[in-house]
Amino acid sequence: MSDATEPTADGRDRLLASISRYQVPIGILLLVGLLRPVIAHDALLGSSYIASSMLIWMLFAAAFNLLYGYSGLLSFGHAIFLGTGIYGVAIGLRHFDLPYLVAAPIGVIVAGLIAYGIARLIVGYGEIYFAMLTLAFAEAIHFVVNADPFGLTGGADGLRSGTTPGWIESFRGQSVVQLGGGEFDLYYFVAIVFVLATLALWQIVRSPFGRTLVAIRDNEELARAMGISTARYQVWAFTLSGIFSAIAGTLLVIRNSGASLENFGMMTGAEVILMSIFGGMSYFFGPIAGAFSWFFAREYLTNLEMVAVPLLGTVDVGPILGYWRFFFGFLFVVVIVLSPREGLWGFVRSIADRVRRRLTEVIRE
Amino acid sequence: MTDTSSDDATEAERVTDDATDPASVTGPGTDHESLDPTEAALGARGLTKRFGELTAVGGVDLAVPEGELRAIIGPNGAGKTTFFNVLTNALEPTAGAVYLHGEEITGTPQYARPHDGLVRSFQSNQLFTEQTVHENVRIVAQTAEQGAFSLDLLGRGRDLATERAHEVLELTELDDLAEETAKNLSHGDQRRLGIAMALATDPSVLLLDEPTSGLGAVETETTADLIEDIQSELGLTLLLIEHDMNIVLSRSDRITVLHRGEVLTTGTPEEIRNDDAVQEAYLGERDEEGSL
Repeated sequence: MSDATEPTADGRDRLLASISRYQVPIGILLLVGLLRPVIAHDALLGSSYIASSMLIWMLFAAAFNLLYGYSGLLSFGHAIFLGTGIYGVAIGLRHFDLPYLVAAPIGVIVAGLIAYGIARLIVGYGEIYFAMLTLAFAEAIHFVVNADPFGLTGGADGLRSGTTPGWIESFRGQSVVQLGGGEFDLYYFVAIVFVLATLALWQIVRSPFGRTLVAIRDNEELARAMGISTARYQVWAFTLSGIFSAIAGTLLVIRNSGASLENFGMMTGAEVILMSIFGGMSYFFGPIAGAFSWFFAREYLTNLEMVAVPLLGTVDVGPILGYWRFFFGFLFVVVIVLSPREGLWGFVRSIADRVRRRLTEVIRE
Repeated sequence: MTDTSSDDATEAERVTDDATDPASVTGPGTDHESLDPTEAALGARGLTKRFGELTAVGGVDLAVPEGELRAIIGPNGAGKTTFFNVLTNALEPTAGAVYLHGEEITGTPQYARPHDGLVRSFQSNQLFTEQTVHENVRIVAQTAEQGAFSLDLLGRGRDLATERAHEVLELTELDDLAEETAKNLSHGDQRRLGIAMALATDPSVLLLDEPTSGLGAVETETTADLIEDIQSELGLTLLLIEHDMNIVLSRSDRITVLHRGEVLTTGTPEEIRNDDAVQEAYLGERDEEGSL
């Protein structure tokens, strides 16, 4: 950011300054606008089918990173909050005939209360114990959901029928929103919520509260000695992170046409961690880039063999279909070894920085 | 950690009675604390910290009057830093009481102390290393302004308490380095930043843990000047752990000598210089170390 202060005309400086000040909102809008057409390009995925799933997981990863990247606390249990958002809507619609716009906020609030309660219990024992205790809570809640209490959660079967709001029309795997006589793809509904939620996350990060979180992450002992009630900040970081994860859940339930037990599973909690680290936990857009790569790699690698088969003639690459995780895992190791905290986004940024510096050198000569 | 306190308390009371009853320690040449701890700017009574069998701080009485510059000296392992840790509740005291301007603050949490006016700097450089110098100070000033916790999600952090941060950076002559990342500062500047952050809490009593450690001769003098300037300008009460005897003897109003976790004596620099017990317990050792 500091290299934006080249000695140039005043107006351009001010423009650059406001671009750098608002680069996150600008980036969010660009992302939402470009994601769908770009991945639908023939050279990439050739379909926009997974665009809305991508956005939802990007929001989940960004919410997770409020805790991990900005507060320095690792949670293995964030599936709890995504799952609560999902099941909140599914249960509300199916068992209580609530409208989506009532059930979704209830799910988010319940997730916030659960997060607050858990955080109050587990904050203050040190980072390792914090991480282990989130794992324990995730296991416990997975167990409860699996036990199908009062017939609410459907146990291992999850909840399918009666969980889609009336204004969603699904047709050949494509979900369409029907509102006030108009029709538009589900992507745009997801995009609106995504923009609002990520802007809110960005505001939290740059607020006095968010600045304090970063200070605590950097040096907790010093923060306490300087008068910061570190435990209370961490409790609220966990709570807010849980709330925004649940918002992602209230979208995912529509996208997936229902709730399934694996939403609360260990893999869900692990995937969001991997996405964030892969993308780069030090940056706002890091986990977002991580979620994108995750989905892109999965789709691309599983599609690859269909494209590749005619080129390779009779070679059967079918088994590779199931091994996209292996290739992604390999990629993951490479990125982590190259830049542990910076991730993929840090890598992209450093290249962009180098190009920019090179350009300004060329221009000056 | 509090579950053993009743046992410890009775023991500590005994220690207090034996060793540091104000009436029994007015030996010749020693002006032990003449003030009651509750009447001082910063006071301690029977302050004790044990780690298992080891007594790091054993029944220390302290009464630093308003506006005094008090040095704490003692050989390595005398319990000086532990004493700071229990004064600020970074470590919970095993027994004893801490008073700030007459109010007992023994049970208040560590993070509450700076808001009451008691703050400390650290012996090793403790900073928010990834942040700029300005942000380091600003975040502390923001905390002083908003309290120990504030769920302020709507403002823009960087805009808050910037004035105050600049004031403090000017006072500590760090304003030129404001936009530097803290981890890139020289050791001396990092030490000064530590003091600046403590000042940003707007303290009335400031505890400095070896502010000149690791500094060269010139930097040591500048830092000592800075500390004196700050004290007179802000009217602070100052408690200073310091190894540099020149600074201790020339700058402090009074000196408290800690030895094996207990107060050996308290007196003016003149009295300390001429105290045989101090010579034996402390200055002798310093001679062996060759640093006096």
